[in-house]
Amino acid sequence: MQMLSEDDLDLKEMTDVELERAWDLWFDLAQSTNDADPPYSHGVLVGLGLDRTPAHAHRER
Amino acid sequence: MVNVFFALTEEFNSDGVIALLASGQAVVFYRIALMSKDGDWVLKETRGACRHVLSVLASHGARYRPGAPLDPRWLAGGWSCHFEFFDDKKRRVRCDFVSRPPRIPAADIETMFSAAHGEGALRVVDPGRLVLLKQTQRAKDYPVIGELARLLPPQSERELTTDPDRILELATEAGGDSARESVRLARRGRSREEVVAALAGEVDRLQQADRARMQRYERAAQGYLAEFRGTVPVEAPLEEAHAFAVRLAERSLPTTLEGEVS
Repeated sequence: MQMLSEDDLDLKEMTDVELERAWDLWFDLAQSTNDADPPYSHGVLVGLGLDRTPAHAHRER
Repeated sequence: MVNVFFALTEEFNSDGVIALLASGQAVVFYRIALMSKDGDWVLKETRGACRHVLSVLASHGARYRPGAPLDPRWLAGGWSCHFEFFDDKKRRVRCDFVSRPPRIPAADIETMFSAAHGEGALRVVDPGRLVLLKQTQRAKDYPVIGELARLLPPQSERELTTDPDRILELATEAGGDSARESVRLARRGRSREEVVAALAGEVDRLQQADRARMQRYERAAQGYLAEFRGTVPVEAPLEEAHAFAVRLAERSLPTTLEGEVS
């Protein structure tokens, strides 16, 4: 049973440069959901709600 | 264009390996999926490692997010530390650290560093332990575990995979008895439906255990985090915010929770 899509599994066929480009594009696109992201995705506070992040204050650095 | 999390790992490890890239970016490293926009590291539990990581983060203009201070006293209790900055393309870069990753016995952590994959300063948690880290409450981690497990020897794959077809294939091919009900059922020739149901139960128990662990930390951190949000000057230079966070944690964040760190 294939549990991930062909698009995902094609990563194995990419060169290092292609993988970096794909990741860079994906990271650009993923910024669009920043405001909707949960505050924590790793660590022991994953279940907590919104916090006061410094995001807006230093976004223009 | 270089993956910022790979580059940060190399910066953290520039004077010796102190940080292993984990979780979603490790999944990218193993070319399984592009699945995470945050970075997660297992850090050596020393003052020097904490100082170096804080210095690297400060050089990127990072700020604290509410969480434990990056200090061995709280890292040793299983707490996590959280930061973020914006890269030169104004993209948000979140960085999270633990030194006692979940489901990895404390006695195994030194071996975890020697078993890391990667070259030079880019060091990544090995696939077997990465599977254990990915046994979280999130459903999206379990298909990834199935793919990561394919990187392991057959008997290890059989003990960790979330793919019922692989359990059925490997049940009689690899190793002897198993602690997994799904594998034992497959070895006895029981139906696919029974194997799939057992596998679903195993995954659910892992998710519930992870959820219960998080809740214990969340409850213990409530007062500290409320005060953190109100008092720690997250816009201040990182060193200053760190000193605030340490003083606050010394007053109101227990270093360890009973029964949490093995």
